[in-house]
Amino acid sequence: MSLNKIAYTALVAFISVVLTLLATGLLMGRSPEPAADTLRPIGAAELAAHNHRDSCWKAIDGKVYDVTPYLPEHSGDEALTLDWCGKDASTAWHNKRPGKAHSPSAALLLQSYLIGQFASSATAAAPPRQALTTPPGAADRSPRPSAKVLLGLAPGTYLDGIYRGQFSDRGEMQVSLQFSLREHRLHDIELRYLAYAGVNYLKLSEEHPSYPVLRQYRQGIAHLEGQPLANLFDLYEPGQVVEDIDAFSGATLRASKIISAVRDALNRGVYQWQ
Amino acid sequence: MPRKIEPGDILLAVLVLTPLAMAGPRLWELPGDGAIWLLSLAGRVTGVLGLSALLVTAAMCVRLPGLDRWFGGLPRLWLLHRRLGFSAFLLILGHVLLLSFAALPLSLEQALRVLFPPLAHAPIWAGWLALAALIVALAPTFQVSAIHYQRWKRQHLLSAAALLLALLHALPLIPERAAWWLLSLLALAAIAWRKLLAPVLARREYRVAQVTPLAADVVEISLAPKHQGIVHSAGQFVYLTPQDPSLDAGYAEEHPFTVSSAPGAGELKLGIKALGDASLALQTLTPGSRVQVEGPYGQFFARRAAQRKQLWLGGGIGITPFVGAARHLAERPDHFTHVALFYLANRPARAYYHEELERIASAHEQLSLCIHYFSCCGPLSEAFLREHCPDFAERELYICGPPAMLEYLHGLLATAGVDRAFIHTEAFDFL
Repeated sequence: MSLNKIAYTALVAFISVVLTLLATGLLMGRSPEPAADTLRPIGAAELAAHNHRDSCWKAIDGKVYDVTPYLPEHSGDEALTLDWCGKDASTAWHNKRPGKAHSPSAALLLQSYLIGQFASSATAAAPPRQALTTPPGAADRSPRPSAKVLLGLAPGTYLDGIYRGQFSDRGEMQVSLQFSLREHRLHDIELRYLAYAGVNYLKLSEEHPSYPVLRQYRQGIAHLEGQPLANLFDLYEPGQVVEDIDAFSGATLRASKIISAVRDALNRGVYQWQ
Repeated sequence: MPRKIEPGDILLAVLVLTPLAMAGPRLWELPGDGAIWLLSLAGRVTGVLGLSALLVTAAMCVRLPGLDRWFGGLPRLWLLHRRLGFSAFLLILGHVLLLSFAALPLSLEQALRVLFPPLAHAPIWAGWLALAALIVALAPTFQVSAIHYQRWKRQHLLSAAALLLALLHALPLIPERAAWWLLSLLALAAIAWRKLLAPVLARREYRVAQVTPLAADVVEISLAPKHQGIVHSAGQFVYLTPQDPSLDAGYAEEHPFTVSSAPGAGELKLGIKALGDASLALQTLTPGSRVQVEGPYGQFFARRAAQRKQLWLGGGIGITPFVGAARHLAERPDHFTHVALFYLANRPARAYYHEELERIASAHEQLSLCIHYFSCCGPLSEAFLREHCPDFAERELYICGPPAMLEYLHGLLATAGVDRAFIHTEAFDFL
């Protein structure tokens, strides 16, 4: 067969395939992408909760995408990418480099992570993480059980002494702390180690963008000083414990890690008798 | 055309593959796995190769006298141009479909959005326009019917637009800019030279000295240079642009014709048969009128083995390169090994140049002439060939004539066990 005929045949085949794709797309009613009105509305607060490596949601042009699975694949500056987790990242999306939007193929990839419609604050549905916004007086409506119940569920009897515990996740030790327990009250709580993604937060300079996270941890710990053990669970609502909880939504306090480390210490038993 | 790699072929391969070599590592690292990864990789590789092939194809239109020798002569360069151009076209079709298929596992919607994104994605739509322009530029070759040469040339110019649109499509999406600028520059410079500069700078002025009728539809025109004429070797051809307004057709159009005068002769002679409207009009070209000549091109008589005797097979107007070479032989017999010339004519009235060739053959022992008439004896047979030239299989063979004749002779010679490497052909045909 001559080249002319091969090329002509290929062209006919090409047009047929494109038309088939088009026709199938039209006949199937373009169902795969949920229509905007069927998408779950997601408010700013719920969005803000997914602001970290383990769960990273981003709002882009009015839609919310859970890009957590894609984070390890992303080629750009990681810190910058993580910085936009939990936020309306439209600006970043349209300015991969200044004035330069992400590519159409990136836009396609993004569609596969679509999880909801971004509801602006005026129309936002009630965010599920009520604890974050629950005023102190309304604590009884908090979704968590009472501190006493929680403490009661914890095994063991807690003798006075010095305790050490830690919180590890994703193959790295993140929080390590020590406290002394006297008559079921926490004293002299000390952060022995605090790290995330290989960064040692205890060694951060004050100018470092992540330094406020360290400050938040210290505020959380200071809140517990001298408190009965049950008050540990106040940290489930860090908004009531530390300042500027949302000032750095890309890197906020994960107070649950403190709770976990303290409970780890209690489980281990007394490290050193006073 | 002997199947042999010419130096220019390697240059072309390097140029075509450079962008892929530069983009390769980046493409290999594409996210995704399995079929999606493979399809998106293939989609991008075909895109990169398609564009570089397109740009190199465009650069090959340059037609500089002398440069074509790197590629084994201009007809072979045209053949490469055609093959690479069609390959680019096929690669580009594959590029579009593969990228769309790569999105199919996500959803049909995504696959369609790859093909037809919102209008704001200008580079994608530039790509579609480029493909459309390319299809129009190639459309005449898709026809089964005969191609109108001048209309084809005009329409084929749309490929320049396709080229620019393809760059608008690719440059915003591909980071390897340096390679693309280099190839684009080569391509655009070639087009600019060919279409804008060459008609002014490369054409030599001649005057028509004589128009000699050889048969009802064949003339030999003799041209005298106004200033410096071209320097050609036997078997080469030129592009002739008649500037004779009284012509019925082909005024100021360029067409290729084989030179029939000996190298170094004072007048340039071209044997012209009426094969189309322009060459028909040239039969009545006015002596004294102005013509322009661009060239020479080709290297039909390139030697593979200089010590071998030669066998020339010329059919119809395909005898012209052999006329030029025989005239050269008459002047410089010491330049030639023994030559057996088979003139394959339809009937005696169609055997133009016959008498002159007889004269040269009888005067020089290096040339023996054998005329074979189709009308009496049918197509040339191996027995006839062997009878008149027993050692034909040990010679270096040169064949020129209409495509059907070439095809027939190739079959005959292959059956007779002639090594293809020693067969040189030149077809009078549209590629």
